[in-house]
Amino acid sequence: MISNNTHREGPMNAYVSAPLLGVQQLKKSYGNQRLLTIDSLELHAGEATLLTGRNGAGKSTLLKILAGLEKSDSGSLRYRGVTLTRRQHRNIGGKVIYLHQQPFLFDGSVEKNIGYGLSQLNRDQRSERVRQALQWSGLTHLAERNAKTLSGGEKQRVALARAWVMEPELLLMDEPTTNMDTESRQQTLFLIRRLINEGKSIMLSSHEFKGDHKLFQRQLHIEAGQLHEQRFEQPISLSLNPASTHCARKPSHDQRSQL
Amino acid sequence: MQSLSSTTLDAIRLLFSGDPELWSIIVISFSTTLKAILIATPIAFVVGCLLGMLRFPGRWALISLFNSLLSVPTVVVGLLLYILLSRSGPFGDLRLLFTDTAMVIGQIVLAFPVLVAMSLASFKAADRSAWETARTLGAPTWRAFITLMFELRYGLAAASIAAYGRIISEVGCSMMIGGNILNHTRNIPTAIALETSKGEFSQGIALGLVLLLMALGLNIAITLLQRRSEVPS
Repeated sequence: MISNNTHREGPMNAYVSAPLLGVQQLKKSYGNQRLLTIDSLELHAGEATLLTGRNGAGKSTLLKILAGLEKSDSGSLRYRGVTLTRRQHRNIGGKVIYLHQQPFLFDGSVEKNIGYGLSQLNRDQRSERVRQALQWSGLTHLAERNAKTLSGGEKQRVALARAWVMEPELLLMDEPTTNMDTESRQQTLFLIRRLINEGKSIMLSSHEFKGDHKLFQRQLHIEAGQLHEQRFEQPISLSLNPASTHCARKPSHDQRSQL
Repeated sequence: MQSLSSTTLDAIRLLFSGDPELWSIIVISFSTTLKAILIATPIAFVVGCLLGMLRFPGRWALISLFNSLLSVPTVVVGLLLYILLSRSGPFGDLRLLFTDTAMVIGQIVLAFPVLVAMSLASFKAADRSAWETARTLGAPTWRAFITLMFELRYGLAAASIAAYGRIISEVGCSMMIGGNILNHTRNIPTAIALETSKGEFSQGIALGLVLLLMALGLNIAITLLQRRSEVPS
């Protein structure tokens, strides 16, 4: 559990700038049941975070709260060091983009879907950006197709292209490769890897992630509504820091091999 | 009384001869109902969307209210509006009673619950991720609403058509607050009632045919729209 930030201030601290997105004292309940209790969570620019936890642990809820799509019961949210009002947070779309496990594509062509968020551009600029996004995602051959007729894997790639084209600062992906055949999964993972290599901040949730760990610098595990942190780059840094050993729970060997 | 078949033939002749009185009645009918639907629909869809997607205290009370308004008899709506609009009533100074504006108001009141209840069903069944996707891609609330309406367009069109069917065929409210004045507030249903009571069956049947054809057309339209919205996505 990331109950304090002391380990960030130690000699191993790799992040000195203000976090892209910071959350404090976030709580969320459904009825009488407490789903999430997160004392502190910081996501930094250019960082790829893997969010794990079993089904129903609150991964989607956390991602949706961060994206401003769902309300938290309490908690404050800072974006680039500035505390956001609830209203500002609700309108964070376009900068922070949430991708559904089953992407919703609007009725219309693939092109129209990708251009949806580009309403501030004029027609020529928009079609140029859409063209780039189609190329980026390898979907040029599907440009004219009605998005509703695509396969699950293709839909997910359109959703990724539709998010990429907005040049977002943070992408929150909810189980993007679940229930996919191997080929679609490879193609989707290829795009996700591309996003990470381009330096986009991403947070990807999964309950069965089998992709390569090198992709992510960080793993957060949700259990009983609390976050437990693991850094892949410096796996020993947490155990070196006495302040965090009691609260940071490393996934056991068995669990890691499942991931 | 003439035989039914010869009266019907008279009626058809009347329709195609372009009888000005008959056609003025048809025009009044369609123009008032169209105005009522155009005014009621946008507001009703916003209400339907809010009731369908938001969770707030009193939501179920409001939903039950609109559902029960569906079955309020049109004469009761007419009676209430008559009291409100009559010279001694609270809105008497507006001098609206027995005008086509009063008829439009009455039809808005009648159409509104149908529009809310049917659009609510569409919005409730809508994929929540449609709204979320629009919002997370930076669309402001109004644009996300328009996007959502576009995704639900077949169901919403069916709601408008059903509401239109309810108000173009109702007689009670139009008769009471419209007054059945020729060339002003006489519409198809009130004209049929009047002509029948006078024994002028051919005009009644001619107007009845117009209504029947329209009802048939609207029902075919609704069926087609519902089939389109059922196409698996």
